[in-house]
Amino acid sequence: MIEALLRRIGAALITAVLATGVVFLLIRAVPGDAIGEMLGQSAGDPAAEAALRAFFGLDQPIWSQYLRWAGDVLRGDLGTSMRQGLPVWGIVMDAFLVTLQIGLVTLLLAALVGVPLGLAAGARPGGMMDMVVESFTLLSLSSPVFWTGMVLLIMADAWIGWAPPLVYTPPEMSLADNLESILLPVLALGFLQAGAYAQFTRQQTAALLRQDFVRAATARGLPARVIFGRHVLRNIAIPLLTYAGLILVQILGGVVVVETLFAIPGLGRTLLAAIQGRDYPVLQGALLFTVVVALLVNLLVDLAYALIDPRVRGA
Amino acid sequence: MPEPRIDRRSALLAGAGLMGAGLLRPGSGLPGFGLTGSGGAARAQGAPPAEAGIYGPDDPQARRGGVLTVAIANEPPNLDPFHQAGDARTAITVLMYQGLMYEDASGVAKPLLAESMAVSEDGLAYTFALRRGVRFHNGQPMTAADVKYSYDYVRDPANGSPGAADFGAIRAIETPDDHTVVIRLSEPNASLPMTLTNRFGCVIPRDTFANSQARSRLSQQSVGTGPFMLQEFRPQSHIRMARFPNYWRQGQPYLDGVLFSVQPNAASVLVALRSRRVDLALLARPQDAEQLQGQPGLSITSALSLRQCSLDLDCNHAQLKDVRVRQAIALSIDKKAVMQAAISGKGQVLGTIPAAMQESWGAPLDSLPYQKTDPARAKALLAEAGLGDGFALDLVSIIGFEWMDPAAVTIAQQLSAVGIRLNIQRVELGVWLNAFRTRNMRFTFNDWGTQPDPHSLYYRHFHSAPRGADFRNWNNAEADRLMDAGMASADPAARKQAYLGLQRVMDETVPTIMLYSPDLVTVSQQRVRNYVQHPTGWWFGLAKAWIAT
Repeated sequence: MIEALLRRIGAALITAVLATGVVFLLIRAVPGDAIGEMLGQSAGDPAAEAALRAFFGLDQPIWSQYLRWAGDVLRGDLGTSMRQGLPVWGIVMDAFLVTLQIGLVTLLLAALVGVPLGLAAGARPGGMMDMVVESFTLLSLSSPVFWTGMVLLIMADAWIGWAPPLVYTPPEMSLADNLESILLPVLALGFLQAGAYAQFTRQQTAALLRQDFVRAATARGLPARVIFGRHVLRNIAIPLLTYAGLILVQILGGVVVVETLFAIPGLGRTLLAAIQGRDYPVLQGALLFTVVVALLVNLLVDLAYALIDPRVRGA
Repeated sequence: MPEPRIDRRSALLAGAGLMGAGLLRPGSGLPGFGLTGSGGAARAQGAPPAEAGIYGPDDPQARRGGVLTVAIANEPPNLDPFHQAGDARTAITVLMYQGLMYEDASGVAKPLLAESMAVSEDGLAYTFALRRGVRFHNGQPMTAADVKYSYDYVRDPANGSPGAADFGAIRAIETPDDHTVVIRLSEPNASLPMTLTNRFGCVIPRDTFANSQARSRLSQQSVGTGPFMLQEFRPQSHIRMARFPNYWRQGQPYLDGVLFSVQPNAASVLVALRSRRVDLALLARPQDAEQLQGQPGLSITSALSLRQCSLDLDCNHAQLKDVRVRQAIALSIDKKAVMQAAISGKGQVLGTIPAAMQESWGAPLDSLPYQKTDPARAKALLAEAGLGDGFALDLVSIIGFEWMDPAAVTIAQQLSAVGIRLNIQRVELGVWLNAFRTRNMRFTFNDWGTQPDPHSLYYRHFHSAPRGADFRNWNNAEADRLMDAGMASADPAARKQAYLGLQRVMDETVPTIMLYSPDLVTVSQQRVRNYVQHPTGWWFGLAKAWIAT
């Protein structure tokens, strides 16, 4: 088991290194750089331009820039943002914590809404509840997040005259203000992910109910409550947990749109700003960080299996 | 040697008489400089200090205190006035950093950190007496050595400041004593005072950049002399500023602080205004004002701006090499229709200068032959150029500049009437800037602003290399001569003649087609008082604004 985990970590790290290399090359192949943005239409003095390029080390060949960056990363230094002048580690960490909170709260919401709906629908396929849940999932899965977000924003403004606070408040400053600022983003993302969760749970439940051991239990005269609680739930726990991990990674990836829409200073917006401003160090640092986080989430899911299912522990 | 002295008073009066007022449109709710308003009566009695009008009128009835919230849709990447050019940066840093001079809304540079300015007869030496009692945000008093350090830093190209080119005219900076600075030029340059204003002319403590961490620190801590100091900058979220207690103007600013909230788009700015989460905003899309019309508690004012939405023509590009083709394009375009499509007509159609400078420096539109729409003449010119059967041309549009899309469609229609088939090409800003810098603009939209001075507006953009950057490969000797004359002349009337001449050459040879200036539409809650919008769109006015209870 440990060996398998190590192998996975190794593979993921190689992926991370390759990914940063590709990003490093690609972003530099795109015309325009951070210098262009700094000078704007005040450009025109080649000496000033050359001086800035040298300041940021952009006058070096790409391979040497990459080696220098990789070397710094190995020493634990993600570098300094070209646009903001702040350490990349701080920028990325601040942004990530914001995104992580939204991701976890969304996951919680999606699970609390999606799993019961899915179970109810899956318990009696074709029943009334199933049709209601089916409609819900169809609607939620076909609504793009930015659209849901816009609708929520406009509805809140028009119907109850409420708008999200202008400035994002971190939870350690004021939990109430914080929840107010992440309310709409979480609802917009949660609407989609609850639908996805409900659909997945319904399929798992319905498939499980057709299994022999369930029929055997029914034949033995066990009450439906016991069959559901003791056999069905326990058996779908692992797929549901795997799905939670998947959803979390998906939320962390898909949060870009919502963060942009609601002015949340999270990882997605940071990445977007870094791409637009050609802030190479931030872009590279944030991507590397994202890859590492995705890896960690998968790792945690694997470990959680072992806790829930004794069979995995031996494998 | 006796030097003619221009002190603060006469500079102010000259400015007011020459081209004062006129900047705020009639019907705007805010008083113009010293024209009306609650401060008028009090000022009529005693002689007001000349700095009273800087940033906006003083208000003796102002109530102290409170934090004003401003929504901005365009976030500065950092707050470093020495290395960042963008307007988003300047709009905010003007509250924290000050230059020797102030770019008054009237189009005249007035003393700010200087108390007076004197010019030598040959126009080569500018002597500034520094204001006393000025302190930096770190508590250190400002001296002549700080001014010398700051301006020497900007003008040394090795430091990579985007202002280096503007400061190129300076030969040496001397500091005869702690409160006097003499700036010596290599040739007369009438725009020097405007160069020393708040975009790149900020004064910081000497040796600030000797510390290698200084550049990154500017986004966490301000080191200027301005009325507000930086408290917190959280990228993608907000910028918080607090009142600078040791500000040289006693009792100002009135506000305890300002909170700039970064909004992701125009729609969220409107929502924030309606829900009263924000006190003040400058609408990125002036036409959005319609959606707020009649909203109780909001006041909307409109002012002329120095921004221009334009079409640039690379005079070295394909068919555009032929001046007749450029003239034909100019004659085919109906600017009013373009402005209607782009911003529902909420702006001013331009000739050869942005709206806020038209009255003081602009050539009247009806005196310029290529400012009419005349498709028949355009066709004749194209036929003369051997393109009577029409031709295809790419029009470059920048992604993220909303007005360009409807404008592109309208212009494509207008040009198709004379046989020019436009292919609209949308490119990213970074790509566009690259083409711009390497003088490879082709036929493109542009969106830019200026300080209220014709030299700042034209010289670098249009003068041939190496003195200018001539981004449009215009290379026009007559234009160069006129721009040089405008720069060298100290006499306002002679300067104006030179720039009127330049505008006629621009009109005739069409290196650019200035379409319109979108109006500066400011929306504020009723509790915001005494805020006056500066035509640059920068937030100067917050230094005089206050909050009513």
